[in-house]
Amino acid sequence: MKRTFDTGNAAITEAAIRSGCTLFAGYPITPATEIAENMSRRLPQVGGYYLQAEDENAALHICNGGSIGGLKAMTATSGPGFILFADAFGWAVSSEVPVVIVNSQRVGPVSGITGAPGQGEFYLSRYLTHGGNFETIVLAPSSVQEAYRLTVRAFYLAERFRTPVIVLADQMVTDGWETLELPETDAEFLAMGLEVVPRRIHPGPEFYPATDDIDIPPVVLGHNTGAACSDWTPTDRGHDTEDITWQHKHAWRLIHKILNHRDLIDEADQWFLDDAPEVILVAYGTPSRVVQSAVRAARSEGLPVGGIRPISLWPFQDHLFKRRAIYLVVELNWDGQLVREVQRAAADGSQVHFWGRCGELPTSGELLEDIKALLKHEPLVRDGWRTEKW
Amino acid sequence: MAERIEILVSGYGGQGVVRIGQVLGQAAVNQGLYTSMLISHGTETRGGYVRSQVVISDEFIDSPVVERPDFFCAFSGIAYTMFKGLCGPQSLILHNPEIVSADPELASPHWGITAETAAAEELGDAVFANVIFLGALSSRLPLLSPKHIVEAIRQRLPERFHEKNLQAFEMGRVLA
Amino acid sequence: MSDLLEKYVRPEKNPGTACKGCGLRLAHRKVLEAIDELGLAQGDVVWGTGIGCSGRQTFVTWKGDTFAGTHGRVYAMATGLRLALPPEKRLILTVGDGDAFTIGFLHLLNAARRNVDMTVVVFDNLGYQSTGGQYGVTTPLGSKTDSSPYGAWEPNWTQRGFDVLRILKEAGATFLARHTVLQGHEPVDSLKQAIQNPGFSLVQLIYPCVTHYGVQALGTRDLATIYDWFRERTADDLTADENTHFTTGIVHDAVGSRVEFAAGLREFVATVQKGGGNG
Repeated sequence: MKRTFDTGNAAITEAAIRSGCTLFAGYPITPATEIAENMSRRLPQVGGYYLQAEDENAALHICNGGSIGGLKAMTATSGPGFILFADAFGWAVSSEVPVVIVNSQRVGPVSGITGAPGQGEFYLSRYLTHGGNFETIVLAPSSVQEAYRLTVRAFYLAERFRTPVIVLADQMVTDGWETLELPETDAEFLAMGLEVVPRRIHPGPEFYPATDDIDIPPVVLGHNTGAACSDWTPTDRGHDTEDITWQHKHAWRLIHKILNHRDLIDEADQWFLDDAPEVILVAYGTPSRVVQSAVRAARSEGLPVGGIRPISLWPFQDHLFKRRAIYLVVELNWDGQLVREVQRAAADGSQVHFWGRCGELPTSGELLEDIKALLKHEPLVRDGWRTEKW
Repeated sequence: MAERIEILVSGYGGQGVVRIGQVLGQAAVNQGLYTSMLISHGTETRGGYVRSQVVISDEFIDSPVVERPDFFCAFSGIAYTMFKGLCGPQSLILHNPEIVSADPELASPHWGITAETAAAEELGDAVFANVIFLGALSSRLPLLSPKHIVEAIRQRLPERFHEKNLQAFEMGRVLA
Repeated sequence: MSDLLEKYVRPEKNPGTACKGCGLRLAHRKVLEAIDELGLAQGDVVWGTGIGCSGRQTFVTWKGDTFAGTHGRVYAMATGLRLALPPEKRLILTVGDGDAFTIGFLHLLNAARRNVDMTVVVFDNLGYQSTGGQYGVTTPLGSKTDSSPYGAWEPNWTQRGFDVLRILKEAGATFLARHTVLQGHEPVDSLKQAIQNPGFSLVQLIYPCVTHYGVQALGTRDLATIYDWFRERTADDLTADENTHFTTGIVHDAVGSRVEFAAGLREFVATVQKGGGNG
């Protein structure tokens, strides 16, 4: 292992290279610019291609184009660029094209605050395009080391599921510096539980079978297989159709190839849940690390508190919230996004509370105060416009 | 129980706030420790401050937030005013009294180091002040050995300034 | 003609989606003729399409490998795809005037800037016809359409001194031509040059829409009248008055004057791998 001190941006770059990524197209945006810069340095070294697109919409389309030619491709952005992916993301979902998208979330809406962390794209990452009829795979790292691991996972899942996979990071994960261990040999890579799936080529003619199977090779053009992929609803051969039966088969596949193989996707950290704690804190990404500290501190004071960190965000892991408890969901936004899913999934009789902020992480001290209030069944007091509404 | 040190470095852009954090973090990694550093820029007023929150521990760091700093290197008045509220009796505040005046109400011990003047006079450029602070800080830091910090200076700071930076580091260390 | 279809077009996609009497089939056939005259086989070409009448008519008609992009973005997709394809593989995109010159123009300009080896064939039906007939940037000024009931007013890119192909020339395209589908073999000759150009080529092929443009702008359903109007408006000359004519010919031929995008990038990467760079 090579032990380094580096950023999440560097970790994501190295993970992409290790996964066989040979095409990056992007558009500079804070705080994801460094991923582009790192890729511009690293890709040519391994014979890969770095491009600066005219906008993010083009960036993901270039990646899609590379991918249907057989290249593994990645792009990286932040909120204002992420929203421009809608068009290309839908195409990749529907045509079942493997591609990896990194979003380093900052404070929004729109340009918002560039260099400060936010978590405003929880739902947007689920529905990054229009039209419905699909499921999305979204992974959320909370450290530099995990940014490496989950980027490798993203490439792995993208190939097996033939779908775009989103790494939903935040500014602290990408810009933050931490101890980073990089595998130097295949054995070390495997020992980290990681794997690379090489690009395979679909021989045709059933490019879009109406099954929930995974591990079907993607459609790759240029090998005279009669490959066909498009924005239209496809028949099993990839021909455009307006037949609603084919549409149903296609949608069923896009949804159930993911839902029926959740064992390959679902991942979460759970802290101190064995003794049925009264209060459970929930967070993803960097805030989850403060939650972990707060939960530990509470436990050291003998308080019945636990914690849950979904690592894969979508499909949402309802099963994590089957304990009846007082949930406190901690997020870097003021409107509450993750909390809505927790509220939906939480066991009957549970209470669900929201702790929100933008631009700055909470402190474990602040969370500990709220934990104590919840244990005493006191309302969470906030000043004025911070009043809890959940 | 894990040992955890929280270091806050803050000033304005160009003072080497991030560099100091990088050297500390690199030194921790060299020594086989865990470390994290969050970098943020003042959002209230642009150019208001740059802040490095460095945590060093002998085990994986959960919260990377500096909530109760063991050390606070305050390189500017704005940074001092912004973050002094986090400091308690356990926090050692390093500052240059010519630039940042200490708040007498604060319970934290202060260590005044006229680093900019010393750097300008002895090294020919005030820019080396941050490494003088680093040297001073290193003399009080538990966990981290100066040997690893010197190694990290060589790894993280530009080669053409190694000599002067190592001199600055020594100048800071002898202040203890 | 039927042997051309048999050779290159998937039987289940014949005769296609174009309206009866539409010039689109003629336009489609010009491209197949050019491919055939160049002696290209099914495996030599990857065919992409955009949205609109042209996309619907030509998508997955090619027996070989084929794809359809989102509206206006097929040029960006083709840029990525070009990096993955062997240089000898021909990449042909059949798109509409809206796809190329409005919604996709940013991407088209950037494909020209990079001189990406692709042949863009714009099947220009003088507006948005697949949505029922609205004016676009190639619609003659004053034309009545469903969205210009008092006559098209917005400045276009084909009249009053403007020519959209000249913008593409300045952007770096290496082969540009304009024809109507009623010009016999001339469009085929230009298409052959375009396909052979190892760089960015675009051929604008104007064709009559009888269902919408004919009825709305020309006031007739009669095919002969509509086709006559097209013939009369076609000038075999690029210097003719663009306000009254479709000026046709090879607008720009700079084949071989610029490094092709994928070839250039491959060379650059190889240089970096040997420890070099560019500057």
